[in-house]
Amino acid sequence: MVGMTAMPDVLSSPEIRETTEKAWRLIVWNDPVNLMSYVSYVFRSYFGFSPEKAETLMLQVHHDGFCTVRSGAREAIESDVQAMHGFGLQATMTQEA
Amino acid sequence: MAKAFKYGSRGITGSLHSAERKLLRDLFADIIHMLEERAELHRLPEGLDPLYALTGMRPADLELPPIGDPALARLLPDASDDPQVAREHRRLTESDLIGEKIDRLREAQFLLETDKIVLDPAGARRFAQALNDVRLVLSERLEIRSEADSERISQINDAKDVTTPEEYLGLVYNLVSWVQDTLMHALMNAEY
Repeated sequence: MVGMTAMPDVLSSPEIRETTEKAWRLIVWNDPVNLMSYVSYVFRSYFGFSPEKAETLMLQVHHDGFCTVRSGAREAIESDVQAMHGFGLQATMTQEA
Repeated sequence: MAKAFKYGSRGITGSLHSAERKLLRDLFADIIHMLEERAELHRLPEGLDPLYALTGMRPADLELPPIGDPALARLLPDASDDPQVAREHRRLTESDLIGEKIDRLREAQFLLETDKIVLDPAGARRFAQALNDVRLVLSERLEIRSEADSERISQINDAKDVTTPEEYLGLVYNLVSWVQDTLMHALMNAEY
């Protein structure tokens, strides 16, 4: 029988990666096809935004032609873009200047 | 005529007449076919490291051909203005996106086997996504590029006035839009 005396120190000295990379932005674009009710619903259900915030962002897309919905690490924004395309929204990602 | 979706004690319910259901099923089938053709291009050549097949990853040097059909491009748009970012995103995610869209369109086809449709919120969301894909494809065929185009098409609401194939397509587009809009309101009532 063997006893564990100490947790193996596999991750001896974790390298802290400097996150110097600039954040990425998720942009949703206006198009004359997607319904306002649908865009609002997507913002509420996928991002968990309040009805007010979802409505504000939806109207911003509608009036300004686009809106930055959120920003973050590249991987997170990549999966947001994929989800938006799954919903049929015109979404792109761009790195902050 | 189709009946608006509403939320009640039995869930989210709505109904479509048989001619409307047949029409929608055919549209779902067309789009599944478009997506399947694109999926074919994702097949990896023989003799490649089996790890790629196992992970569903695509080697970086194996480029996907650009999308020629603008309607398909609406379903699978570029993820960035930066061509390199867009290409990379497509290489890593397009195959999954095609797969999930086909799954939802097949589910929608199956739903329309009966005239009465009963959905839970998750099913309603997937049905709305499938209807949205239909509208995206129709909008490209109808060349809806601006709010003015959209406004013009929305005037076509009576089958009696329809004389051209384009007007008929417009009528179908408006029907799908109306169904989707009532579905969204029912879903909003159900979830929130």
